[in-house]
Amino acid sequence: MGWFGNVLWWLGFTCTGIVCQMLVPRIDALLAGLILLLQQRDYRTLLWVLPLFIFLQEGLGTSRFGSSIVWYALIFLLFHIGERFFRSDTFVFVFFLSAAGGAAYYGIHLLMAPLQELDVNVEQLVDASFLQAFFLPLFWRICSLLRPKEELHPDHDDG
Amino acid sequence: MLFLGMYSWNQTTHTLDDFATDTGLELGGAVLSPVRALEDAVRTLWTRYADLVAVREENEVLKTEVAQLEAQLLTVREDLAELRRLRVLLQVPIDKNWRPLAARVLSGQIGPNAVLNSITINRGYATGGRPGTPLVSSKGLIGRILKASAHSASVMLMTDPGSHIAVYTQQSRALGVLRGAGAAKRLALDFVPRDTLVSIGEVIVTSGLDGVYPKGLPTARVVTVEPSNYTEFLAITAEPLVDLQHLEEVLLLEHTGAAPEVEEGVMAPREFVGPPKPEKRARK
Repeated sequence: MGWFGNVLWWLGFTCTGIVCQMLVPRIDALLAGLILLLQQRDYRTLLWVLPLFIFLQEGLGTSRFGSSIVWYALIFLLFHIGERFFRSDTFVFVFFLSAAGGAAYYGIHLLMAPLQELDVNVEQLVDASFLQAFFLPLFWRICSLLRPKEELHPDHDDG
Repeated sequence: MLFLGMYSWNQTTHTLDDFATDTGLELGGAVLSPVRALEDAVRTLWTRYADLVAVREENEVLKTEVAQLEAQLLTVREDLAELRRLRVLLQVPIDKNWRPLAARVLSGQIGPNAVLNSITINRGYATGGRPGTPLVSSKGLIGRILKASAHSASVMLMTDPGSHIAVYTQQSRALGVLRGAGAAKRLALDFVPRDTLVSIGEVIVTSGLDGVYPKGLPTARVVTVEPSNYTEFLAITAEPLVDLQHLEEVLLLEHTGAAPEVEEGVMAPREFVGPPKPEKRARK
């Protein structure tokens, strides 16, 4: 896939992600794309896709700027920790990452709410965390199936 | 440390908030608007097809309904005349300083950062949706715009715990503050004195004293009234008049900025004196 095709693919992914977020409230559908990029080690694309996702999520949200940065930073950290124990391109890895991500989602919102003097509805937050953990592997699987094969796992093609 | 520095700087300047709103919300709105338009087109097409199938039967039903409505119209005219008389009696002037603007709801809470009970609409600061603008439907108040990009805006619903609206009850004229308690939860009407006669089913309307909402907008209906165990006020719960879970089209009330009209023969604008003093409940 050429440079232009890659940009088009990611713009299409972003639009689809926003529509998914419209259908399932409070989840981050764009996260599946970031995980895909980390698995591909495509840091050049990550360089422009990450700020786009951050500003989109912050713009669409109603909290003060900053939660998305902590959220994505934690996911990156969990990804690199998980990578030491599992192969990152497997469904099991993404399953565990999404479970840990769900817990991180809960923790971040609980942490950020007092900074903005917001009341936390724990029931809703738990629901949203579970939804996030449930949908991430699903979105990731769909994205990895739709992504052209040569773009996936470039480090495994060498041997 | 870098993050905390950025966070604190943004708390004071709102630079990143504004930039994220102008870019993220605008982009999100630009994606969602065609999706909603497509949804509308498909729905309209389907409805028209369904209408076509049922049009003959419906025609017969409609003819009967027209006859019934004509009869009802006579009664409604009477009601309208009564309403005009009651408005004069209640001193609730129709405020012409607010211009209604139709808007389409693009989505409910969207994304992981939508921590408030909110919706996104297809009007922004360039199209009449400035922060603070009240939103209503045909049934009553919905909330107010929290932040806006050029063509999209996020609206805080009245059920959000951060929503506080100055109101009074329509019959007993008791002033209070209507507070949200979360999605799908009842609203709380605070600071109504214990000796006020508030009845169940009474409609709560905006008082306009908060300077955010125009006076006289129907807001909620009283569900329970009981003396508070902890304060000198009544513990009143209410439910919104509008079904906030299924909103499609809404009206924005844009302030025209015009000064209140001066009545003929009166030199200065009429002074606002507030609703009449509430009736006192006899102490036992």
